[in-house]
Amino acid sequence: MIQIRGLRKSLNEKWVLDGLDLEIHEGMSLVIMGPSGTGKSVLLKHIVGLFDPDEGDVLVEGMSVSKANGRQIREIRSQISYVFQNSALFDSLTAGQNIQLGLTPRECRKHDAHRDPRVIEAVEHVNLDPDVLRLLPAELSGGMQKRVAIARAIVGRQKYVLYDEPTTGLDPVNANVINRLIARLQGEIGATSVIVTHDVESAFYLGDRIVLMFDGRVQAQGTPTELRESSDPIVQEFLHPKLT
Amino acid sequence: MARESNLTADEGRPGGDRPPIAWVRKIGRAGLAVTRHIGRAGVLFGATLLALLHPRDHIRETFRQAKAIGLDSLPLVLLVATLSGSILAQQSGYQFTDLPLWIVGNAVAAGMLTELAPLLSAIIMAGRVGAGIGAELGTMKVTDQLDALRTLGRDPVGELIMPRVVAGAVMMVPIVILANIAGIWSGWVTGMAMLDMTTHEYVYGVRNYYHSAALIFSLVKGVFFGVTITFIGCYVGLQAEGGAAGVGRTARNTVVAIIVALMVLDVVLAPLYKAVG
Repeated sequence: MIQIRGLRKSLNEKWVLDGLDLEIHEGMSLVIMGPSGTGKSVLLKHIVGLFDPDEGDVLVEGMSVSKANGRQIREIRSQISYVFQNSALFDSLTAGQNIQLGLTPRECRKHDAHRDPRVIEAVEHVNLDPDVLRLLPAELSGGMQKRVAIARAIVGRQKYVLYDEPTTGLDPVNANVINRLIARLQGEIGATSVIVTHDVESAFYLGDRIVLMFDGRVQAQGTPTELRESSDPIVQEFLHPKLT
Repeated sequence: MARESNLTADEGRPGGDRPPIAWVRKIGRAGLAVTRHIGRAGVLFGATLLALLHPRDHIRETFRQAKAIGLDSLPLVLLVATLSGSILAQQSGYQFTDLPLWIVGNAVAAGMLTELAPLLSAIIMAGRVGAGIGAELGTMKVTDQLDALRTLGRDPVGELIMPRVVAGAVMMVPIVILANIAGIWSGWVTGMAMLDMTTHEYVYGVRNYYHSAALIFSLVKGVFFGVTITFIGCYVGLQAEGGAAGVGRTARNTVVAIIVALMVLDVVLAPLYKAVG
């Protein structure tokens, strides 16, 4: 379980996270949505220890992320994989080598990246032909890059997969493909998914539970049905924006 | 939360600025920024040295960097070293008209070994390798690749910085040796073609100057310069912010920082030659 307790973080003299409390239970598919700049991605970066909080803490399996030493942070990160908004593939490595980075260095040494059975299994999981393993990221389309990034996130079979705006920058067709892929992988690999998005349609499609963030706090949370039926004006404004 | 005003207390006052105080503040801020950079660079350098304890994980990347840093830079370094040797020969031949001609060989050997081979090679490497490293790491920073590396449980210092610094240090040795050879060779060709020198005179001049301490000094300087170029490239690259414009600024800042550091290091290392020479 991931527990977020009273998390506060200021960036550029503004509180991006302002006392956020949240619990992420195993096996769930949690969607975090909210307007841009409300701290969704910053929250994910706290979970994986890329940001230190100003106040509060994140506990992963009971271990404090902010107080973890080098060995402990490696242990925490070994349980979490992260799909970055812009895929963050390494330009100088092939798709196969990028995916293989999701394995431990010892596992990497066992096989060539393009013939590694776990890399091939991961690339097939994301509906890509193993031929793409030898291509560089620059030779892949945006949708394919995103799928390679997802393959890198699932190859190590981590317990938690964090997706930061997985459909941003994709056309509606590719966005649907990625959404369906995430939903299918959730069933197949059984990892706990935390998906950050500001796309309401994606949120309701992917989430067992949805959290709406507003001004650095949890404004509302619940099942998709509970959220739809919420009488909170901010929730309703976000779900049904008025075009004035 | 405390908020910092963009205006200083004096600038905000009606009645105008007080330039001396504003300048002192600016100098103070710049001093603090430099101190902060030196501190951060020191910590990063320490982490780079610690990463040397696990060379096995990074050996392949180190070889790849050695090729990119060393072999790919060699043609340009040799070209510049050849031209430098030729210029040195011509200038010393024209200037020292009252001295015997073998002095040309002496001047070329002294100039190449003590200064030009290591320094010019380093300046070329600063533009070619240092700026490249700064831009590459800067791009990796602004496109989240460094964060991705961390989340994958990899250490960016071990994966990216240590291989570059080791490759820079190691590859500068053959580069400086070859630059010395190219410069001294072109000095000989120039002397023969333009100064009516004999090979015997030139070789006599070179041997008259040459001693192993000069070559060792040349190589030690090269190693220091190699570490400086690659490490500053990495450090400045890691400070990149703000997309493509930020990466552009990073590449420029890298070259400026490296060239200043090389000149300072050259001054600092000069007494070493006196000590061993």
